[in-house]
Amino acid sequence: MTHGTAVRVYRALLILVPSRLRETHGDEMEALFAERLAAARESGAAAIARTWVRTIVDLLQARAAGWRRRAGVMLTVPTDERHTVMFGSDLRSAWRSLNRQRTATALVLFMLSLGIAANVAVFSLVNGLFLRPFPFPQPDRLVYINETAPRWNLEVVGVNYPDFVQWRNAQKLFESIALYSTDAFNVADAAGAERIRGAFVTWDFARVLRVEPLIGRTFTEAEDKPKGPPVVVLGEALWKERFGGDRAVIGRTLRLDGVARTIVGVVPAAASFPDDVRLWVPMGGDPNQQGQSYSFDGIGRLKPGVTAADADRDLKRAHQPIWDKGDKDHTVSPFVKPLRDQFVRDYRTAASTVTGAVALLLLIACANVAAVMLARALARRREMGIRLALGSSRFRLLTQLLFENLILSVIGGAIGLAAGQWAIAVLVRMIPDELPRWAAFQVDARVIAFSLATAVVTVVLFGWAPALHAIGASVRSAMHATTGGTTGAPRGRRTLWFLVAGEFALAAVLLVCGLLFVKALDRVRHVDPGFRADNVLTFAVPISEAARPKQEQWIAFWDQLRAKLRALPGVDAVGVITCLPLGCHWGNFFAVEGAIPSADGKDPVVLVRAASAGYFEAMGIRLRAGRFFIEADGRDPQHPAIIVNETFVKTFWGPGANGLGRRLKVRDPEAKWMTVVGVVEDVKHYGLERPMRPGLYAPLPMIPRSTLSVAMHTTVDPQSLVSAARQIVREMDPELPVFGVRTMDEAIRRSLALRAALSWMLAVFAGLAFVLALGGAYGVASYLVSQRTREIGIRVALGAQPSDIQRHIIGRALAVVGAGVACGLIAAVVAARSLHDVLFGVRPLDAVVLLTVAGVMLVTAIAANGVPAYRAARIDPMRSLRTE
Amino acid sequence: MAEASLKPTHFYILLALSHEHRHGLSIAREAEALSDGRVRLWPASLYGSLQELSDRRWIEEVPEHPVEESERRRYYRLTRAGRQALTAEAEHLARVARLARARARARTGDAR
Repeated sequence: MTHGTAVRVYRALLILVPSRLRETHGDEMEALFAERLAAARESGAAAIARTWVRTIVDLLQARAAGWRRRAGVMLTVPTDERHTVMFGSDLRSAWRSLNRQRTATALVLFMLSLGIAANVAVFSLVNGLFLRPFPFPQPDRLVYINETAPRWNLEVVGVNYPDFVQWRNAQKLFESIALYSTDAFNVADAAGAERIRGAFVTWDFARVLRVEPLIGRTFTEAEDKPKGPPVVVLGEALWKERFGGDRAVIGRTLRLDGVARTIVGVVPAAASFPDDVRLWVPMGGDPNQQGQSYSFDGIGRLKPGVTAADADRDLKRAHQPIWDKGDKDHTVSPFVKPLRDQFVRDYRTAASTVTGAVALLLLIACANVAAVMLARALARRREMGIRLALGSSRFRLLTQLLFENLILSVIGGAIGLAAGQWAIAVLVRMIPDELPRWAAFQVDARVIAFSLATAVVTVVLFGWAPALHAIGASVRSAMHATTGGTTGAPRGRRTLWFLVAGEFALAAVLLVCGLLFVKALDRVRHVDPGFRADNVLTFAVPISEAARPKQEQWIAFWDQLRAKLRALPGVDAVGVITCLPLGCHWGNFFAVEGAIPSADGKDPVVLVRAASAGYFEAMGIRLRAGRFFIEADGRDPQHPAIIVNETFVKTFWGPGANGLGRRLKVRDPEAKWMTVVGVVEDVKHYGLERPMRPGLYAPLPMIPRSTLSVAMHTTVDPQSLVSAARQIVREMDPELPVFGVRTMDEAIRRSLALRAALSWMLAVFAGLAFVLALGGAYGVASYLVSQRTREIGIRVALGAQPSDIQRHIIGRALAVVGAGVACGLIAAVVAARSLHDVLFGVRPLDAVVLLTVAGVMLVTAIAANGVPAYRAARIDPMRSLRTE
Repeated sequence: MAEASLKPTHFYILLALSHEHRHGLSIAREAEALSDGRVRLWPASLYGSLQELSDRRWIEEVPEHPVEESERRRYYRLTRAGRQALTAEAEHLARVARLARARARARTGDAR
């Protein structure tokens, strides 16, 4: 806003202050304001904002002082009405008027708060995810850093530590950059064994986020070296839980995975990043070690004024020596993007869909408010006409109407805000695991401003405007309406019907989309996951590598654990695996004998899992050819046997090929060839809606791991075996925690939580929209019937049958609703097309859905109009003609 | 209450007018200068107060403006009643300040 505009805005705002002040001192006030604003401009945006707030408060105070003064003066001094806008009395008479028409008022309030509540809920969601800043200083300067390798078919590969060190030395536009990698640690002490989420970080991690420790310090550069001192920084929550918030905790030790680490600092709960990490340890990377994996995530803090795009170029420039040295084809390249983009990417579609839906809902509520207010205004033409005739100014009438609307919007806004907050709380409880930890959904100034603004705009625009429309006519026509009977203005009536048609059109759009989503959800739910989900209990156990350093010990441990679990009554199959379906991902590239060229020329990434004998049986994975693993597999290094999935066969050997007996190996000259002994059906490893990659299972003894997930199939309720399983692990090693306990049913449910929440939200909005539209139709029909009592009376007197009257009224309503629904269905098909990506193959032109919506809406519309029609048909001509 | 004190805004306006005739903008600047920037008068409260003080006859408009200034500006001066009110308030404030200082010193004494 330029200075000139600002001053003009101020001039307009002077309407707020008492007219005497405005008229005597308006110009001088403007000059003083201009001076204040100019001074504020020198010191930046915050000062300007403060000046505006102070200015508006100042004006409102003057208004209030004016009222107070008048209250004292009015008794003695006659005031000139032209000079005194009678706010107090307008307010009172507006309130009286609302109170007189309680049903209409309640109806408007109900619809308004419904529309606003839904909007507040969705806005809180959007606000929490997209608008609220991260809980770190200057969060807009934080960026996410990773590497991409399109040639490997990987959008994100993870950062390689030596690459990172090269960037750190060569970059110019970052204040600092850091790496992190989340992990979990076994913590065992007198309080028992526990698995705690933590992160390995480079030493400058806290510097990037600008996290200030509560006590102690964060890491030093010297601690982040290979074989550096074992230290740990605790999160506030862990510190309070384990150490009771003792400030003398610095210097004490905490045993993580069997290693005693010295506690050097505690950081505040708000600094918990990434996600719900509770402790941090130095990464201790070695840039000179060869062949390191690409596995870390990076964050950076930009220098002031640097954009993410600049930083991206800077990082690529810093990466140049690596390309020159060993990666001439630029297979792997770094990228930078705003930190928030990285963490909200899953929610964008959902958020925009819900926002669209809820905006439609608000529009319907608006149409309803407009219809009710218009009907009220039409019904009050006589009152208005009389008041105009008695010399009241049109300005006064409009002010009073405006006040009525403002009262409605404030009350409606407040109710809507409260209801919306309640709704968001329910929603957040529905999808707790799916939302990022830093997202907070409490009321903040933004939410309140949003709901009030929505309420005021809704009511003033959709309430006041129709009122203007209705009483905009001259005194003569208003009086004419009074004397000429009660048929109401045809113009107003047409507007009413138009609003009803609009409501039905919008409700039809929402209903169609809502039903399509519910259908898509149902379809996703019925996707065959490739395993038997019921009665499978899973949990993970991490072996302490300090207590069992050798891989043979791990193999022995897993064998023993499996045997003991298998011996439990009610368990009929037990297996262990590196990654359960819907769990983690570990990919690699393979040289495959007789492989056909891939469709897109890229080397396909293969999902690698190491599984024990018994795993396939426990999960109910179906065999296509060959056999499952047996106990002997993988124990003889000379004959490595593997099992591949169907997609693997299709990708590497073509559709219809038989993979049995074929060989493949890791891309490494020293690697051994492995022979396919079995082909199994695909498991939906990445989620029911995601496509499956080629995957292979290696026998566990071949790739031993210290942390594995156990899957056991039970013949009894799987939950009843949890404590027995825990007991077995405790007996084998009391230091080992058991974590991630869940059934596969539960895992599937969780993986669908976001989609389910989205579908249900849309369904609920659609339902509300439908109810609002019906309410609107009913209200308008009732109003029109009541206004036409006299006309209908005459018709009946002239011989019309009750059934004729009913047919006439319902026919009119059906024509309107039918037109609305027809437009709505067309719009819905167009809208659903843009939702193609999230509809999981459900076609927008779904005949069943469209017919259902059309049928339900028309039938209920008949019902909604039937009641007033019935009433109309029972009108007694004698009485109706006497009512005037 | 015998010691009804003046609103700070009113006090500073009277104070600003104690030596010379001023218009509103100049009163605002002077009040800010006199209070080391602690008192910022905002338009509506400044001119509202000027009206109120005029109504009380503590200040009055100067009928003839200095020529070079803009037509729109209204100049004010203190009336006799206004000067009395200002003096009374100044004495009241001095009394309060003496009292507070004495009390504060006594407390420090106790502590020792």
